[in-house]
Amino acid sequence: MDMDFSPEDLAFQAEVRAFLDDKLNARLREGAAATPSVFTEPDITREWQAILAEKGWLATSWPVEDGGPGWTPTQKYIFEKECAIAGAPSLPILGLRLVGPVICHFGTPEQKARFLPRIISGEDYWCQGYSEPGAGSDLAAVKTRAERVGDKYVVNGSKIWTTHAHHANWIFALVRTDPSVQKQRGISFLLIPMEQPGVSVSPIITMANDHEVNATFFDNAETPANNLIGEEGQGWTIAKFLLENERGGSCAAPALLAKLDRIERWAREEASGSANGSGGTMIHDPNISQRLARLRLEAQAFEVTELRILAELAKGRPAGPQTSLVKLASSNLRQAIDELAVDLFGYEGLQLPVTRPLYGNEAPEYVGSRAAQLAMPAYLNGRAYTIFGGSDEVQKTIIAKQVLGL
Amino acid sequence: MNFDLDENQELFKAAVERFCQGQDVAARRAARALPGGIDRARWQELAELGLIGLAAGEADGGMEGSHGDLAVVAQALGHAQAVEPWLECGFLPARLLAGTAHLEGVIAGQTIAAFAFAEPGRRFVLDAQGVKVRGGKISGTKQFVLGGGAADLFVVTAEEDGKTGLYVVDAKAADVEVRPYPVADGGVAAIVTFHDAAAEGPLSADLGAVIDEARLMAAAEMTGIAQRLFADTLEYLKTREQFGQPLGRFQVLQHRMVDAYARVESVQSAILRALLQPAAPMAAIKAHVAENAIWIGHQAVQLHGGMGMSDELGIGHGLKRIVLLSKLFGDPASDILDYARAA
Repeated sequence: MDMDFSPEDLAFQAEVRAFLDDKLNARLREGAAATPSVFTEPDITREWQAILAEKGWLATSWPVEDGGPGWTPTQKYIFEKECAIAGAPSLPILGLRLVGPVICHFGTPEQKARFLPRIISGEDYWCQGYSEPGAGSDLAAVKTRAERVGDKYVVNGSKIWTTHAHHANWIFALVRTDPSVQKQRGISFLLIPMEQPGVSVSPIITMANDHEVNATFFDNAETPANNLIGEEGQGWTIAKFLLENERGGSCAAPALLAKLDRIERWAREEASGSANGSGGTMIHDPNISQRLARLRLEAQAFEVTELRILAELAKGRPAGPQTSLVKLASSNLRQAIDELAVDLFGYEGLQLPVTRPLYGNEAPEYVGSRAAQLAMPAYLNGRAYTIFGGSDEVQKTIIAKQVLGL
Repeated sequence: MNFDLDENQELFKAAVERFCQGQDVAARRAARALPGGIDRARWQELAELGLIGLAAGEADGGMEGSHGDLAVVAQALGHAQAVEPWLECGFLPARLLAGTAHLEGVIAGQTIAAFAFAEPGRRFVLDAQGVKVRGGKISGTKQFVLGGGAADLFVVTAEEDGKTGLYVVDAKAADVEVRPYPVADGGVAAIVTFHDAAAEGPLSADLGAVIDEARLMAAAEMTGIAQRLFADTLEYLKTREQFGQPLGRFQVLQHRMVDAYARVESVQSAILRALLQPAAPMAAIKAHVAENAIWIGHQAVQLHGGMGMSDELGIGHGLKRIVLLSKLFGDPASDILDYARAA
């Protein structure tokens, strides 16, 4: 038993590090670091995406024939880990990680040829139409209706929490094509162009003052019938594939550990303001230092949980039941870390900027430090981690049923 | 033994409820968008109801309400999610300016006063260091001056002769620089720099005693907000349907709400203890209320799902106000540590 990477993997790691050193410029690092929302804005991600596309390191979860780099699970993990440590921007995952693999797996040759290159080039920017006002945790209750009329589908209904719909020119959506059958069986997976009169997007501002999500409305929106992925009624199966594909391997711990390192650094710089005038820093504060230590232990253990999954995948075995724990554990850890950052900065952690972005020339003035200014919006946005993509309550029910057999 | 509100307290509570009627998210957002984040007409209305004068002594033309009366007002304002910074710009100045001519305008709602107590790099320490008074002139920088963007005058903690005193400074004076910035609850705070501005003082108010009272008021307001978030979440679970039934039918959510209920009861009891027990440890009681109120706020967001994240609902507004109050004059961790050390 060991926890080491092979010499080949270490060589790959060195190659990734050299690449990041060379290509990850200050603007990209700043944009990534000063983004309190879950998704980085396209002005940052497009530049990074182009750099990775040129290197052939962009669509890492796609098969080689569709444009993937042909990496092993371990190489994928190393790449993500190094990106997290280096502070690289997140990528537009809705195209690259969600709909991309679906098109690779279920798409016709024509669909692959039409959509995949445009995801890689950044020409198409995707958003996801899953949740609806009446179908949140209960996703199978979707009502948005798609009716086949001649050689196209006519779509009516609405989607909610559509991340970056205001940037997107395509949406992949779960729609009801057959209302007469049992609820999962009437659902299909449909690609719909956003730039048409029948589609409208209305912003939903979060309590952190970020515009990340939207409500998207379909009023006789149209899409050619050949934009159906798979067959009618196969939507639920595809949605499950998408989720499982996403859960296949994960690399959340390195980013969490990197954030803890940053908090520790800030704690060494942040004045404790102790009444006795000793002029110490917050790293000596018993509450802050103990929470930092506890969270680090938890994140380090979580890193090994992810490595255990990786080891299974690397051997070609299906990932074990730990996969279900990953989202649950990472979401809760993230929230605790973000809360610690707010508490570290005292009154300065209570500033909450109203405008965005928080990087570049347009960034509003901060009180104390940029890190202090980012703490509150990151904490407030982070409350969504235990809600989206299957809430904590839904995850726990899945684990209770499927893992524990209860 | 009797824990009922008295007749006057019922009247104060009703006055607050009437004052806040119809103050939905849109109305609150409109008020926050005004220069300085305070609607002066509404502020005057609040004053005319006697709710600022309630915190001032009779000798100063106030109504000299008891701690119980004032806590009822704070809690009712919290429950109604009032946008007016009563605690910061009403209660605190009414206490700190005792015996001064400035109080009349404050009680009437014509003067908005803000309390400048926090200094950069000094965390929650109340002893002034960076802001000094020499020969009647004040210099130095304060931050986190709540209501500072709208203030007509500042009550400032400053060091003179090695002691921390309270001073009054005209906010509109040319040698006072005010830089407003937005804070978590949607309000406007300011960084205020004094460049040898004229300062009046030291005032006679007992700073430590007023801070303890303010902690009690913050705890009472958090209790009101927590009760409101609890009630709104309970209602949501009874009406929101998923998987073919109301969310409230799921046992895990039922138990979560029972936990929230237990915490709501605990914070209400803690407030009553603070009011009725002589020399109650206010900072520690505020810490207890804060930790429970934050937990309730987190659950209210979680159980509302995506809607809880949206600025369109009062849920997030409540959580954000709780988070801000939880750190006013010390955060729960530092207050509990102080309490443990003192025990």
